[in-house]
Amino acid sequence: MSAERITDEVAVEVRDLVKEFPSPERGTLTAVDHVSFEVHRGEVFGFLGPNGAGKTTTLEIVEGLTPPTSGHTSVFGLDSVAEREAMKERIGVQLQSSAYFQYLTLEEILDLFGSFYERAVAPDALLDKVGLIDKKRSLVGHLSGGQAQRFSIVAAMVNDPDVVFLDEPTTGLDPQARRNLWDLVEHINQVEGKTIVMTTHYMEEAQVLCDRVAVIDRGSIQAIDTPLGLVHQLPAAYRIAFATSSALNVNDLKDLPGVLGVTPLVLGGFDYELEVARAGDTLPVFLDWTKENDVEVDDVQVVPATLEDVFLSLTGRSLRE
Amino acid sequence: MKKLFGASAKMLYRDKQALFWALAFPVIFAVVFGLFDFEQSPEVKIDLVGETASPVYGAMGVGLGSIDTFVVTERADLGASTTRLDDGDTDVVVAVQGANVEVLYNETNFQTNQFAITAIERIVDRVNLEAAGVSEPTVTLEASGVAAGDVSYYDFLLPGLVAMGVMNASITGMAVAISRFREQKILRRILATPLAPIRFLSAQVGARLVLSVIQSALILAVGIFLFGAELHGQLIWLFVLVTFANLIFLNLGFAAAGRAKNPDAAAGIANAIALPMMFLSGTFFPTETLPVIVQWIVKFLPLTPLLEAIRLVSVEGEPITAAATQIAALTAWVVLSFFIANRMFRFEEA
Repeated sequence: MSAERITDEVAVEVRDLVKEFPSPERGTLTAVDHVSFEVHRGEVFGFLGPNGAGKTTTLEIVEGLTPPTSGHTSVFGLDSVAEREAMKERIGVQLQSSAYFQYLTLEEILDLFGSFYERAVAPDALLDKVGLIDKKRSLVGHLSGGQAQRFSIVAAMVNDPDVVFLDEPTTGLDPQARRNLWDLVEHINQVEGKTIVMTTHYMEEAQVLCDRVAVIDRGSIQAIDTPLGLVHQLPAAYRIAFATSSALNVNDLKDLPGVLGVTPLVLGGFDYELEVARAGDTLPVFLDWTKENDVEVDDVQVVPATLEDVFLSLTGRSLRE
Repeated sequence: MKKLFGASAKMLYRDKQALFWALAFPVIFAVVFGLFDFEQSPEVKIDLVGETASPVYGAMGVGLGSIDTFVVTERADLGASTTRLDDGDTDVVVAVQGANVEVLYNETNFQTNQFAITAIERIVDRVNLEAAGVSEPTVTLEASGVAAGDVSYYDFLLPGLVAMGVMNASITGMAVAISRFREQKILRRILATPLAPIRFLSAQVGARLVLSVIQSALILAVGIFLFGAELHGQLIWLFVLVTFANLIFLNLGFAAAGRAKNPDAAAGIANAIALPMMFLSGTFFPTETLPVIVQWIVKFLPLTPLLEAIRLVSVEGEPITAAATQIAALTAWVVLSFFIANRMFRFEEA
């Protein structure tokens, strides 16, 4: 990903955003709790968090679909509430699990949605981009899951928007369809230069697609950084995994300089993982130790920590709970 | 807006199941009712029992025989005839004993009995008069219909079927369609575009108004060309009135969709609104047959003034000005239903 793709211009600005919903049990439920962030033009910005973390609500406030309780959001300086109509001309919205008219063909839907905007891209050009040109006279119901999802993304681009919002674009897709969709998102960003704001609860997706990731949990942002930056914030940014032919004393390994933790991978087996801050420093130390102690090691791997580890360390719980 | 209207019309046309309910359902009613012959009086089977030699017996026999729809059979055994009455083999037994005429009938056959007993009473009266030596009655009665032309029950019914069909299709169709759009988040998706939501809803209303005109024309065509219904007035006013009143039904459809959690619930609420009106407002029977209190309530339902107005202009051949009161009531309902819809309708689930 090239650096010049991203500019300094602020595409999306969110300041001190709060959204409360009335809740029968607790009086009010704070879905979004003082959230602030900026997205720059050309960026792919991701919200990573479990279901109910406040990702969708935040997006829908920015898109002008839901009024905020307090705070301020804007797209290219256009306020999401006060200048909603002008703002909508410049954004494309793909909603989570939203369908399209079941009795219109793909071409007719794109033509219809195009007519809602001041400028519109021809349906054929849009369908061609996602390989659905052969299906232009089909109904949405006749598309596969992956095709329907590609269609819903391209339907968000009828007005040639500057910012595209994608809400969990790959949820429910098989791995192959997910990869196809990642290619599409990269194309929209890198070739067409669109700014993308997306939500996901797949850390791999955030790692592959996003320039920056906001980790969100229980309505508030825990950290914002590049995927690599987030991982490097962790004390244990890497793991050294290996197998041995006999049981080792875990405490001996823990005493090695640079080792932050030791995890026996399989209970009763001889596979271990060392949590380390810098693999380059600790790996030689570990290998020297094995020679000195006549420990035969096999299958040594250095594994960088993932966003899953980041999430666990920031929130104390797993992303998939 | 043109594209939006075209798309809304296409959606309506392609939703074959909904289209069936809108078009075929009232047409089926028009066909089924057309198959009945309401004008024909039912045949009444009468057993005449008694002493054949008595003059009263003879006079009764002549009297009964003079009525076309009576099929009179002379029987000797009263017991056997009573059994035949119980079994439904005969409708009425007239037993003559001396100067006494006893009429036995099966209580389950209400309409036939009413007619038969009244007729038999007249015969008895006439026999009495003749016995008293009065051959020419002092007062005679002649009954004749005074409506414009010859109005049959089917003529009365047909405009009712038009109004009923449009009402059902609009309330249910609109409620289900909007509820489905909301459930599939299509309404939300439209809110994410710069399109003013009212324009989307207006296009839906427009497409359904056009559908209701086609629907009305189809029902009338079946009634007039297949079953010979005779409508006397200017049919254009029937279309104008039905289309105007349809705004009420579409508003009620929006209101029903507003409170429904899903399309099934929307259909249920829509039926709960439409069905009582369909029967109470006089689609099938004149409202005069209802209890007074119910009549009074029914007067305030929107279908009632519509039915009255279209019957005035199409069945009774009155000018549109004769329906001024009904038009005023419909206008009030258009305004009122708009406010109800505005209050109840939600773009999103609450």
